[in-house]
Amino acid sequence: MARYVLKRLVYLVAILWTLTVVIFGITQVLPGNVAKMIVGQFQDPTAIAAIEQKLGLNDPLPLQYWRWFSRVLHGDLGDSLVMQRPITPIVLDAFVNTMSLAVVSIVCVAVVGVALGVLGAVHHGQWSDHVTSLFTFVGISVPEFFWGIVLILLFAGYFKVLPSTGSAAFVDNPSEWLKHLILPVVTVTFTLLAHVARQTRSSMLEVLQTNYVRAARARGLPERVVILRHALRNALLPTITVLTLDLGFLVGEIVVVETVFAYPGFGRLTVYAIQQRDLPLMQACIVSISAIYVLANLIADLLYAYFDPRIRYGAVSA
Amino acid sequence: MQSPLLEIDDLCVEFATPRGMLRAVDRISLAIAPGEVRGLVGESGSGKSTVALSILRLLGPGGRVSGGSIRFRGQDLLRLPEPRLRELRGNRIAIVFQDPLTSLTPSLRIGEQLAETIVTHRRVSRAEAQHMSIELLDQVGIGEPVARARQFPHQFSGGMRQRVSLALALSCNPDLLILDEPTTALDVTIQAQILDLIEQLRDRLLLSVLFITHDLGVIVRICDSVSVLYGGRLVEQGPLARLFQQPLHPYTKGLLASVPTLASDRRGQRLPFIPGRVPDLINAPPGCIFAARCPFVEARCDDPQRLAPAGEQRLAACWKADELGSTAWPLQRPAALAQQRANTAANGSALTVQDLTKDYTLTGFWDSLHVEHTGPWPGLPRIVARPTKLRAVDDVSLTIAPGETLGLVGESGCGKSTLGRAIVGLVQPSAGHIRLDGRAPAAMSRAELRRYRKDVQIIFQNPDSSLNPRMTIRQILARPLELYGLAHGRQIDGRVLSLLETVQLSPAHASRYPHQLSGGEKQRVGIARALAAEPRLIVCDEPISALDVSVRASILNLLQDLKEQFALAYLFIAHDLAVVRHISDRIAVMYRGRIVELGTVDEIFAPPYHPYTQALLSAIPLVDYAERKRRRIHLEGSVVARAPGTSGCNFADRCQWKIGAVCDEVTPPDQPIGPGHWIHCHHELGFLSRLDPTLAPAPASVDVEVDASVRAGGCG
Amino acid sequence: MLIAEPAPAPTERRPRLVEIDRLPRSILIGGGLVLVVVLVAILGDLLAPFPYDQQHYLDTNLPPGGPYRFGTDEYGRDVLSRVLVGSRVSLAYGVGASLLSLLIGVPLGLWAGYKGGRVDEVLMRVLDLMMSIPPLLLGLLVLAVTPPALWKTILAIAVITAPSAARIVRSVALGLKGEEFVQAAQARGESERYTVFREILPNAWPAIIVEAGLRVTFGILLGAALSFLGLGAQPPSSDWGLMISEGRASVTIAPWVSIFPGLAMLVTVIGFNLLGGGLRDALDPRIARDYLH
Repeated sequence: MARYVLKRLVYLVAILWTLTVVIFGITQVLPGNVAKMIVGQFQDPTAIAAIEQKLGLNDPLPLQYWRWFSRVLHGDLGDSLVMQRPITPIVLDAFVNTMSLAVVSIVCVAVVGVALGVLGAVHHGQWSDHVTSLFTFVGISVPEFFWGIVLILLFAGYFKVLPSTGSAAFVDNPSEWLKHLILPVVTVTFTLLAHVARQTRSSMLEVLQTNYVRAARARGLPERVVILRHALRNALLPTITVLTLDLGFLVGEIVVVETVFAYPGFGRLTVYAIQQRDLPLMQACIVSISAIYVLANLIADLLYAYFDPRIRYGAVSA
Repeated sequence: MQSPLLEIDDLCVEFATPRGMLRAVDRISLAIAPGEVRGLVGESGSGKSTVALSILRLLGPGGRVSGGSIRFRGQDLLRLPEPRLRELRGNRIAIVFQDPLTSLTPSLRIGEQLAETIVTHRRVSRAEAQHMSIELLDQVGIGEPVARARQFPHQFSGGMRQRVSLALALSCNPDLLILDEPTTALDVTIQAQILDLIEQLRDRLLLSVLFITHDLGVIVRICDSVSVLYGGRLVEQGPLARLFQQPLHPYTKGLLASVPTLASDRRGQRLPFIPGRVPDLINAPPGCIFAARCPFVEARCDDPQRLAPAGEQRLAACWKADELGSTAWPLQRPAALAQQRANTAANGSALTVQDLTKDYTLTGFWDSLHVEHTGPWPGLPRIVARPTKLRAVDDVSLTIAPGETLGLVGESGCGKSTLGRAIVGLVQPSAGHIRLDGRAPAAMSRAELRRYRKDVQIIFQNPDSSLNPRMTIRQILARPLELYGLAHGRQIDGRVLSLLETVQLSPAHASRYPHQLSGGEKQRVGIARALAAEPRLIVCDEPISALDVSVRASILNLLQDLKEQFALAYLFIAHDLAVVRHISDRIAVMYRGRIVELGTVDEIFAPPYHPYTQALLSAIPLVDYAERKRRRIHLEGSVVARAPGTSGCNFADRCQWKIGAVCDEVTPPDQPIGPGHWIHCHHELGFLSRLDPTLAPAPASVDVEVDASVRAGGCG
Repeated sequence: MLIAEPAPAPTERRPRLVEIDRLPRSILIGGGLVLVVVLVAILGDLLAPFPYDQQHYLDTNLPPGGPYRFGTDEYGRDVLSRVLVGSRVSLAYGVGASLLSLLIGVPLGLWAGYKGGRVDEVLMRVLDLMMSIPPLLLGLLVLAVTPPALWKTILAIAVITAPSAARIVRSVALGLKGEEFVQAAQARGESERYTVFREILPNAWPAIIVEAGLRVTFGILLGAALSFLGLGAQPPSSDWGLMISEGRASVTIAPWVSIFPGLAMLVTVIGFNLLGGGLRDALDPRIARDYLH
């Protein structure tokens, strides 16, 4: 297990670093002159050249990269061109908002998704299985922004129960915070939950057909014990894998959902940065999100290794 | 007569398939007395496993019992409410499944799985249950039970896992133990250990056992009485000795006649075999299920057959049983040979293998890293890379003369497959040479290399995976012809048809796909594919192990015929000694990568032996009834390949004739015993000659022993 | 003379991949829906009552009814026509990106799976890297730096999804490599090209076809999401994601502008999902056996 952790950590560092290079590289391809953007489109060329000089935009790329990278390592993400402020506090604020959305969503997805999947597998072929299957099938087919708009229409437009945009800080007003969170969370979880439920159901069905489950039943163990102790733990391993994959989709969904609900989180910030061509902000956002994503992946992998005794305890000892 | 413990009456089990209702079990009745060991013999599709699963109602989706009853101590298990049945499962009736790899829950510790079963059925506390688990592990022969109980299934080897499965089954002292092919997936010496264990437990705990298997040798060894299943029906039943010495039903006759035994002196000749294939159970004929393949068939066989008494305690489902009496299964005339080729035996060069070695590196980069405390600065640990290497083939030298069959035997992991693959060119040796016609592949030009590959072909073990499922048979056979330029354009079709004829398949096969063929037919296609290249040597890698027992004999005969017809040399790799003895001229015994003995068949089967050969001969379950109680050598532990460069005898840790330190430290010499016969051992010839012959010296005279006296007399 | 006859075959012709009359319902329904969408995409212009970008200044934000079956948007454009024509873009995203990603991913996966060793290691690391950026984010990144265009979006989606295609094909190739018929080919001395293309690839087709089906829905959804964010098709295109985005601002007064394209997308994706799922079940070798006789 120690070797596995070591290996993953080394990969983590390598990937993170490569990511920064790649992201930096791609964003440098951005057309449109940064200096022009700061000073204004029609300024005097010498003023533009002066800004370029000051920002070090004429230096060779690797040097620019190095400068940027070392600043990032110190926690300084630069200044937003459009908002004319340091980026780091903006990012941190957005981070907190997005994290609340993400964490609540993941928990819902994991708990409800697994429960639905197990239910479907155990009641295979019966009406509750068919209903859940239908539900999850629609879940994987519907685009999340459409679903979000439908929810807004119903709950904010028609029933006028929940707010459609924005958010509130938890510390100031917990119930408001919750109200602002509900619709986005439901939107995000709906599609992911379907995915997880299906995977859990199919891996649970597979596990229920295995020899060891049959052997457990053959020993007269109560059905409850067979399902929870013998089957579920092994069926959950592929589910952890799917949840890991879903992290990527989660990030994507959050970006879109935050846009739909004008929720002031990381995703919306990134879209804003892109639309405004705010280069430093764009770089900062994408690198941060990717870094968090890679880290989350690592945690998920370690979790998987923890639960799979074959990895945790190593191979055969005669 | 005691009342039977288990009574199955007219059991019928069906499975729903897209093509229709499949009758897996058709009116089977049998009864097991307390303390009896009943063998249930049958091939794939015979319904034997289905019967076992039905007893405990574990059939799974799609299968249902459509008739009959199963009474255990008078209670009908099929009509028992589920909670009552659960009380019996694992408690009064226990079952051990075939595959130890998948029968244990991977995520729970062994001790927990044991304790949980005990707690479920008996009124004991958790702590007591854990204590009992440890005792159970000890009883089934698992060393260091306390530590082992905390381990997970993947940390045990196959044989160990099966012991654990036995422990689980016996944890609540059941009355009836059902074993479904418990040793099929295990190595021969491990299998012998498990069978020994089952015998001991049976004697000590006074169990009844229902032993399900297709391996007749195992049945002979351990059962008191036998029920023979075919096509979902019971065709014969009776006490062990009588059934084996005088089978009544034609199927039993055919089965026993077609299995090579040591007693039979038909070595090198054709075996009787059962033609045809296993019946389709969806549209089963109403009459005798075996009629399509039976040489004694008459019009009356189309009527439904009933199981009728035929002699003392015997039953047979054949109206002709009495009439046939002790008529043996007929030996079929050899097929008219399709084509006589010029005998090329005069081509005098042989395949020579010299000092062949193959090492494998097991661990990847990360797993090879270790922390060590030795180094230039004491006290400072450093990380080094020490990959784990295994020597799969260790310094092997042998020769195969043209037209000769060299048998290569050994257990799984001994390197015989690797050796075979190295000869064919699938595996690159780490050291040593292979020469055909005196030229080594490394020194050959491309054209010569191609010729080598053509001359040395291979037949694989598993008919289901050795043919490309997306190619027709014609395409599969045409490919070697095209590749080696042996036929072009229009000639190819003709050649394909003649190849099919040679392996006794009709031309209709050419346009079929592999999944439409039976196992035996697929294997014939594999043989035809090898023949298409007009080779001189064919490496046969366990060519019949994956086939049904009733089909094996005909494939063996085919290989025999082809050898004579085309003057082929074979390297025949197998783990079944009786089969190898039947077809080989000489035999090499392989253990942990090294050939420990090489000689003619007679030389191998009699002392002087290598100690491993002696142990192997004692462990292999033979169908010879006279051999059932022969003296057995118990080999403990299991086999793992060695690291390269280890010196000393590779059998030293298990050898019962170990001399001492010399066996551990010094690699033994290959002692020549006679011309072409040598043994890899430190012992001198005289000692090895005096070893007990583990087999009866000549076909023993058969006398009918009453079961009681055999039991009372104890094991050999 | 004892010659073995094969078991009587119910049909003498070559067994097709699937038997039409025994197909499960999911393939039939899904296939039907897909067919409808494809037809709409091809015949869009002919079916649409109005040109998709024609604005009717006096008829803005009208509810469904009269000549405007699905209502109009804020520029007075007919929603029905726009939905019909927009199917083209969605299909382009889905089918185009799916095929392209397979074109990139399948050869790579096959090659890496077959060769193993160093080649495989290197490829896996590269794939890991590419997959370590969340898909949408990668799309955003790539499209942010150039002026958006349809083909660029399709290419971006293809590149994003190619690694998982390569992964899957690689694992299929790895599995097939161990099969004895592949070893038989190697033992015969067949060239690598022959082994990969004539022995391995024909057996990998079922998995590839299933993947193609599943990828289409992913492409459609991802493309729509990118358009929704303004990085896919540009106005006045009637791409469904873009329509939903445009209708968002006025969703409380004119919900039909967003609802109809959304429903269209839902139906399309359901169709492809049914088809893909059904194909996967039909082509699963364990189950296929029963359909092939």
